[in-house]
Amino acid sequence: MITFDNVSLIYPHSLRTIFEDLSFTIEEGEMVLVIGGTGSGKSSLLRLINGLVPHHTGGILAGDVTVDGISTSLTKPGGLAHLIGIVGQNPAHGFVTDTVEEELVFGMEALNFAPDVMRKRVEEILDLLSLAHLRNRSISTLSGGEQQRVAIGSALVLHPKVLVLDEPTSALDPIAAEEVLSILHRLVHDLGLTVVISEHKLERVIGFADRIISISADGKAEIDIPEEILKRSPIAPPIVHLARALNLDSVGTSVREVRRMTSHLRDFTPLASAEQKDELQTVVAIEKLSHHYGEKVALRDISITFKAGEITAVMGRNGAGKSTLFKSIVGFHNPTSGTVLVAGTRPSDLSGRERLSTVGYIPQEPSDLLIHASVEKECSASDQDNGLEDGSTFAFLKRLTPTINGQAHPRDLSEGQRLSLVLALILCSAPDVLIMDEPTRGLDYQAKALLVDTLISYARNLGKCVLIATHDVELVAEVADRVVFVADGDIVADGPTIDVLLSSPAFAPQVAKVMSPAPWLTVKEALRGIASATGAESSE
Amino acid sequence: MKKTFHPLTWWAGAIAAAIAVSLADSIAFNLAVVGGMSFLVYRSNKFVIDKTSWSGGLWFALKISVIIIAIRTFIGIAIGVPVPGTTLFELPILHLPDWMAGIRVGGAITQERLFFALSEGIQIATLICIFAAATSLTSPHRLLRQMPVFIYEFGVALVIATSVLPQLVTSASRIKTAQKMRGIERRGWKGVALPLLEESLARSLDLAAAMDSRGYGYSRQRSRYRREKIASSDLTVIAGALALIPLSLVVFA
Repeated sequence: MITFDNVSLIYPHSLRTIFEDLSFTIEEGEMVLVIGGTGSGKSSLLRLINGLVPHHTGGILAGDVTVDGISTSLTKPGGLAHLIGIVGQNPAHGFVTDTVEEELVFGMEALNFAPDVMRKRVEEILDLLSLAHLRNRSISTLSGGEQQRVAIGSALVLHPKVLVLDEPTSALDPIAAEEVLSILHRLVHDLGLTVVISEHKLERVIGFADRIISISADGKAEIDIPEEILKRSPIAPPIVHLARALNLDSVGTSVREVRRMTSHLRDFTPLASAEQKDELQTVVAIEKLSHHYGEKVALRDISITFKAGEITAVMGRNGAGKSTLFKSIVGFHNPTSGTVLVAGTRPSDLSGRERLSTVGYIPQEPSDLLIHASVEKECSASDQDNGLEDGSTFAFLKRLTPTINGQAHPRDLSEGQRLSLVLALILCSAPDVLIMDEPTRGLDYQAKALLVDTLISYARNLGKCVLIATHDVELVAEVADRVVFVADGDIVADGPTIDVLLSSPAFAPQVAKVMSPAPWLTVKEALRGIASATGAESSE
Repeated sequence: MKKTFHPLTWWAGAIAAAIAVSLADSIAFNLAVVGGMSFLVYRSNKFVIDKTSWSGGLWFALKISVIIIAIRTFIGIAIGVPVPGTTLFELPILHLPDWMAGIRVGGAITQERLFFALSEGIQIATLICIFAAATSLTSPHRLLRQMPVFIYEFGVALVIATSVLPQLVTSASRIKTAQKMRGIERRGWKGVALPLLEESLARSLDLAAAMDSRGYGYSRQRSRYRREKIASSDLTVIAGALALIPLSLVVFA
């Protein structure tokens, strides 16, 4: 269906070739996953398929890409619209109209479909993607998962043979992600659709992929079945890391497979770990907090405390009240009723240096905080704001990412480097509370590992309080001591990470699913747990 | 589906109202038109739960209007030709080089001059509010879909502009909040403008790519899913707005 024939790609003014001599074929009805680090060219590869690269972005393409026999070098993306549906990284950026129904028909109108055909197709897609009850809704009011479904629907309505999706689940909570992926899975199986998808959160998609294209940093790529690629690839989901760490003969891609392979490791009763925590100092105290936006209740009578040295993950659907809770703690607004105290003061009273040393906030788009023309200037501005010695922020940044270029413009950094920069800017004033909203969007495993280390050392070594809002259960398993689950303005669960995550299958991390009933969330914990349990058995 | 007006209705009405306003030259008439428009927007949005990002358009325009009136009034009284009349107070006259003869900065501020500057400011603000009200009542996207396909490039540019603009407003406030949280309190618009510009450029490119890959402008012919019909209620609105023109000529001119 899709053939890449000796494809090389280079962008003008760039010294690095994105791809070199890529050749592969994707068959009809295949679901192919594209993996690679950030900046490795995953998006470019996807956009090559319908000719957006190079027709839209520029760049020099050598070799040929053909889809269903049509060469993309000769046909513009518009001419392939009936053949290829493409859903971008952020579907909200690609919506042309205001309501769901109008959005679905947009492509068909552009391609001059007859009105009766359009009617039929719209109904068909509304049913297929269970969007019927949303047909007249304005798109901007939909949740992330619903928007993603609308974007997929408006691509499918043209009956394409190929569907291309760029990180379709990165902004979604685990349940919405599951929903989108199972729809894709059904389309592949029922309609024989060819699907090409890129994703950082491999644990979510790995079970659905027939083959994987792995792009390495030097522009080479290989395509193979998941088991083969994952044997060697540094980018791998937690279950693969687990299989490698346990020296299993082969790697499995589903929880079921790995569970079967590891049944012998689970025949013992794990020792109950009796770790007693010291009494920690309260940093954030919230009492009877409520917040309304007009008629809408965002938070309802919440009382909770967050302590020093503790990393708390706040989870919940989009719009459940996570952001409002954070904004109240940061002091962005005065709550409708109730009190919030951060280190004994009302956060909305803080200003200047006092604010910097009390609350650190990293928004969903970390680049909102960056206003200077180079990394060094950002750092020296932060030195000034905090009254630090010249160069101390930059030194801190260098410790996080030694390879960062001080002269680079912040916009030219990779997602991971940009997050490190923002972390350095915020952490150099050592705030009592660090608050992060969705920190792992667009981060690869390497950048995520760095984030995990930074957060853990900040909380443990400096004894600070860290709050993160995230949909990423694997991140929560790695860093959080405690999980607070918010739904519809209420706190519905609050407890140690292990208890909260394991109580719901949708939120259990992969390792926990494999090792259940043993209470281990991460590869490290599982290894330690197995070692101590087997050690205990052999010493008996 | 709820009965809605034809997308052209409110725009035609707005154009008629704008003509009337520019003919009338009366502060009272201007304020009455803005008041009426605001009422319509308020009423039509009151029952809509499903607000689009456009419904805030008029509110934003009202805020901008205050700034426009202030600036226009200040420039009007401080710079330009002196108007004779009752002197309110006097500003020192700034001496300009010879080649700038004819322009005077400062001088006597007369009641007439103040009134003239103020009414001109209100005139401009009224025009802005009228079109903002029209966007609040019908999304410009619906209007654009009525456009013939041969103005393709123009269409793309307009769709992008109309989608990115309301986003700019929300993004600007988001960025400002974020920066306040970092302790950047007095760095003015430069700090907001940079990230904002980057974001809107990226969004525009994304949108253009999305439209391209969905075949926009590829086919010469374009079909319509739902033909918008002009109903009697549409005609009433347009006739009402047109009636403002003779009214403005007779009563307020």
